[in-house]
Amino acid sequence: MSYETAIGLAMLGVMIAAIFLGFPISFTLLFLAFAFGWWGLGDVVFNLAYFQSIGLMKESLLAAVPLFIFMGFVAEQAGLMERLFSALRLLLAPVRGALFIVVIVTAAAFAMATGIVGAAVTVLGIMAAPIMMRSGYDGQLAAGAITAGGTLGILIPPSVMLIVMGPVLGVSVADLYAAAIVPGFMLAAMYVAYVAARSFFNPKLGPALPKSERAASVWPVLRAVVLGVLPLAGLVAATLGSILAGMATPTEAAGMGAAGALVLAAAYRKLTWAGFQRALMQSLATSSMVLVLALTSNIFGAVFARLGAADWITETLLAAPLPPALMLALVTVLIFLLGWPFEWPAVILVFLPIFYPVVNGLGVDLVWFGALVAVTLQTAYLSPPVAMSAYYLKQVAKGWSLATIYKGMFQFMAIQIVAIALIFLFPAIATWLPDYLFRSGALVVSEPPTTTSADPLGESYDQMYQRSLENLEQ
Amino acid sequence: MPLLTAAVRAIDRFAELCGVAIAWLMVPLVAAVVYEVVARYAFAAPTIWSFDVTYMLYGAMFMLGAAYTLRVGAHIRTDFFWERWSPRTRGVIDTVAYVVFFFPGIALFLWVGWDEAWYAYEIGEMSEQTPWRPLLWPLKACVPLAAALLLVQGLSELTKSLYAALTGRAFA
Repeated sequence: MSYETAIGLAMLGVMIAAIFLGFPISFTLLFLAFAFGWWGLGDVVFNLAYFQSIGLMKESLLAAVPLFIFMGFVAEQAGLMERLFSALRLLLAPVRGALFIVVIVTAAAFAMATGIVGAAVTVLGIMAAPIMMRSGYDGQLAAGAITAGGTLGILIPPSVMLIVMGPVLGVSVADLYAAAIVPGFMLAAMYVAYVAARSFFNPKLGPALPKSERAASVWPVLRAVVLGVLPLAGLVAATLGSILAGMATPTEAAGMGAAGALVLAAAYRKLTWAGFQRALMQSLATSSMVLVLALTSNIFGAVFARLGAADWITETLLAAPLPPALMLALVTVLIFLLGWPFEWPAVILVFLPIFYPVVNGLGVDLVWFGALVAVTLQTAYLSPPVAMSAYYLKQVAKGWSLATIYKGMFQFMAIQIVAIALIFLFPAIATWLPDYLFRSGALVVSEPPTTTSADPLGESYDQMYQRSLENLEQ
Repeated sequence: MPLLTAAVRAIDRFAELCGVAIAWLMVPLVAAVVYEVVARYAFAAPTIWSFDVTYMLYGAMFMLGAAYTLRVGAHIRTDFFWERWSPRTRGVIDTVAYVVFFFPGIALFLWVGWDEAWYAYEIGEMSEQTPWRPLLWPLKACVPLAAALLLVQGLSELTKSLYAALTGRAFA
């Protein structure tokens, strides 16, 4: 091991210790990259950091991040979830465990219009928790359904997490989106099957709704469903559809989605000045948080690689006498454990780049690996005691104790672990759709025409790093 | 003390006002993307400027928004232990970290960013990515500007953490 590599590994160790203190991760990373980088590399570290920064600011793929976040906040204000929820509630009222199923289906549908977690859990909590308590639903199962359903937002496209993950793994975001769709809806179906079976065999957990809560005739119900579902379906088809059909880049789809959500909100007469302003401010804070972390962890990663520590870790791990499947399982478990104390931006941007060369060296399908990581990190949202969704729910459903919420989440966490095992053992769950759409020739992907010859779209962070090295040499 | 409180409030207000202005960049960003898609598919007339405008607005927005994000406490922390710590412990950690990590790191970033932006301005550097070839210095100037805004907001945050460290109460 060279002197520089030792500095790089020391930097990694200090970083892990330092970010546990709780100071904002971005600023800790920036300083450590400067300090250790200057020690090991000299003044060149400042230029390296600068080229990484400006490279990230010019990465047009990541413009999809603020746009999808904005789309989610506007769709939330448009009351799309409320409409869907009340329509489905009327439709499913006679079924045992109706409200559990309604919560999960609403959450899965809304996940296609938002890319983050928070909002869905909060809105579902406000809408569903009071009715569930009133109707004598089991608190644990109810809290579990709300938190589990709400976390589908970061898995099911347009997940912001997958956009950020694409360049880390060097795969296209469209591939990752296609790979997350089947696992996402498989999970939703597993949740529904679980709550339906539990309440079928024990109706006390979730009774069918009383006659007074049911609709008198079927027509108003169908009308409500159509009015609630159709606009959302149109929005989803326009955004996800255009990405999966290869017609638009994720950035273009996100822009169209944001505009579409604004039109929907206006059509429902829910677009207020204050609400619009609030959506703008929330979008700014959320996207700036994610992207500043992307920028600083890119600088950190570039310094780490330049010091030779990244190669050293890869070579050491690949030299270990472990079968590839076991190595992959270890990486997956490690990512799950990291998802406990850290939120997804930190895991994807800070730690995944350290594992990436190892996984790449094993020669596995990185699209499949991306889907596996996505489900693993979604599970981390459901793993008490550090689980954001529990806090979001507790804030709006004061009637449930944190212990009740945790017990409910544990049940759904077990379902998640089954799903992770299934995706691990049967990669086709994730890879079938992207293979069918993009890689088997079933569909000729026409790259959206851009006005440039050297198309910088979809550049991986690694390529960005290589380019910044070229810049340094000039 | 009242003077210091007033200064903290003034800085926070400044960050919020800047935040509002920066958040509105979302509107031209959405407009630029939508215009390009509609022009391309409906009129078969793709624009020459949309690609550059899109990344410039996105880059400017998230960089300049960093100070507002600091003001509203949205920069991600590892809350594993943080949740359980008293206001005083939090204040001590933040005070030390602002002095040791934040100010030196951001000041270096300001210095490097300023040099590069000034150089881009002097030579009239243009983007090589598209035939439109827009000037690059406005985007590059966002780096030192974002760092400067962060340093200003950092003064307010440092004062608040110092207050918490000394009194054991969170600054309200």
